[in-house]
Amino acid sequence: MPPNIMPADANGIRDKAAIVGIGETEFSWDSGRSELQLASEAIKAACDDAGIAPQDIDGLIRYDMESNHETLLTQSLGIKNLRHWESVSYGGGAGNAVVGHAAAAIAAGYANYVVCFRAANLRSGVRLGRARGPERIAGGADSFAVPWGSMAPAHRFGMFVRRYMHEYGATSRHFGWVAVTLREHASRNPRALRREPITIDDHQNSRMVVDPLHVLDFCQENDGAAAVVMTTPERARELRHSGILTLVEAAAQGSGPRNDGIVYRPDLAVAESEHTARDLWARARLSAADIDAMMFYDHFTPFGLINLETYGFVPRGEAKDFVDGGANIRFDGMLPVNTHGGNHSEAYIHGLTHVQEAVRLIRGDSTAQPPQKTINRVLSCSSVAQLSGAVIIRRG
Amino acid sequence: MTQQSETAAKSRPMTAPLEGVPLPDLERVPDYECGFWEGTRAGELRIQRCANCGRFRHLPTPMCPECSSLQYDWTQVSGRGFVYSFVIVRHPVHPAIREREQTPYNICMIELEEQEGLRVCSNVLQVAPEDIGIGMPVRVAFMPAVDDPDVVLPVFLPASEQ
Repeated sequence: MPPNIMPADANGIRDKAAIVGIGETEFSWDSGRSELQLASEAIKAACDDAGIAPQDIDGLIRYDMESNHETLLTQSLGIKNLRHWESVSYGGGAGNAVVGHAAAAIAAGYANYVVCFRAANLRSGVRLGRARGPERIAGGADSFAVPWGSMAPAHRFGMFVRRYMHEYGATSRHFGWVAVTLREHASRNPRALRREPITIDDHQNSRMVVDPLHVLDFCQENDGAAAVVMTTPERARELRHSGILTLVEAAAQGSGPRNDGIVYRPDLAVAESEHTARDLWARARLSAADIDAMMFYDHFTPFGLINLETYGFVPRGEAKDFVDGGANIRFDGMLPVNTHGGNHSEAYIHGLTHVQEAVRLIRGDSTAQPPQKTINRVLSCSSVAQLSGAVIIRRG
Repeated sequence: MTQQSETAAKSRPMTAPLEGVPLPDLERVPDYECGFWEGTRAGELRIQRCANCGRFRHLPTPMCPECSSLQYDWTQVSGRGFVYSFVIVRHPVHPAIREREQTPYNICMIELEEQEGLRVCSNVLQVAPEDIGIGMPVRVAFMPAVDDPDVVLPVFLPASEQ
């Protein structure tokens, strides 16, 4: 094997970029407008929050699922010269990776103001949870899954969850405590789509959609857009939120070895994002004990447990005890998670709202702000299988 | 086993593959996948196997991820294995599943006995969903897809313990 030439703690972006503005549209079941309109509105809102004009933007990082390509946006936003652009693949896997890419572009000096965004009509348009039409499949992972009815994310992630339950004794009721907690957080958040509190019995009695997943284990499918504006810490000190900077301390991405690793990776009870976690902690020179709140990609509630273990907040197999009853993960608990309500109850914008919430928590203006502690560091981590990303955002 | 098995009536077993769902277009599947479908049409479960190091792999790829050989064979396996993980789909997400009332149905990852971690996605027929469990021994069978009999699908049946 060739030597590993990259020191494990190499972290060229450390504190080189700040998130200076966050913005979003309203979240809805039917936005009634185009995805370009949504993107423009969210980015404008984020620029307003930062105190810059959209014309100041010279970098764009989008999800590769995004329909709003760079040239559409340069015209709509009035960008004269887009000096840096990227698209990051893999649905929710891009959720935090976009922020890491933006930080790298800023650290390299490639652009002054970089925007990460996601805008989509994922309810009134093409729904990710719905299977495609009757056309034939030209090979690939789908051709070895769809003929047997494996057609939706829940079908594959459900396999992961089943195996996790089998190995570690977690039950649907444990997942229910995640649902109850996220809904409680959303009940305080006027942006949230689902604000009606639920009980553990509501969760247990909710419709079984893909056994072992109840409907109250699923995230929302909705329309909307979110954006964050990033720049250097030096510029951040001249902008609207100069009092409390929110710096990107470290970022990491990682994978596993297999195509369609959600169901084909070597051990289905273990998250592939453990690679991401290892690099993130090494680069940050931190551990879970240094984190004040965790924003996790809650496409399905069980991944709250799995992320808690993967990022080392609890030993493997013990998250079920940590989340039981919900007290530890509530906004006023030991480790607040998804204080905005997450994909589960606020809105599903492919994980970008989690980054926004991390910023709010550090600024102190979350609608579920932890009452008795200052939030200095937040971990935001994305999907746990195949390609994943994570960032640590800290008070500066 | 699910919690329902002792308290509620069991759902009907699957007796055949699903109808009306997308199938592979065998004219368009890539060269490194064809051997799988040629095997099923011959009534054999053939899995891609590296001609150099002998490791099986699925999903198929042009290159061996272990030894980087580009040479491979399609090797018939026993078709015996066990349920590694599974879900029971109770809510249809495809029109054909909904309209033809094909829920509930199971999707199982079957681990084949030839190699640890060697898995295929399939359905287990002739067993109520409530009776499917991790570790259940199964054996392969072959059934042509209703919508295109040229596509022969491997499915699995409960097998007695060896």
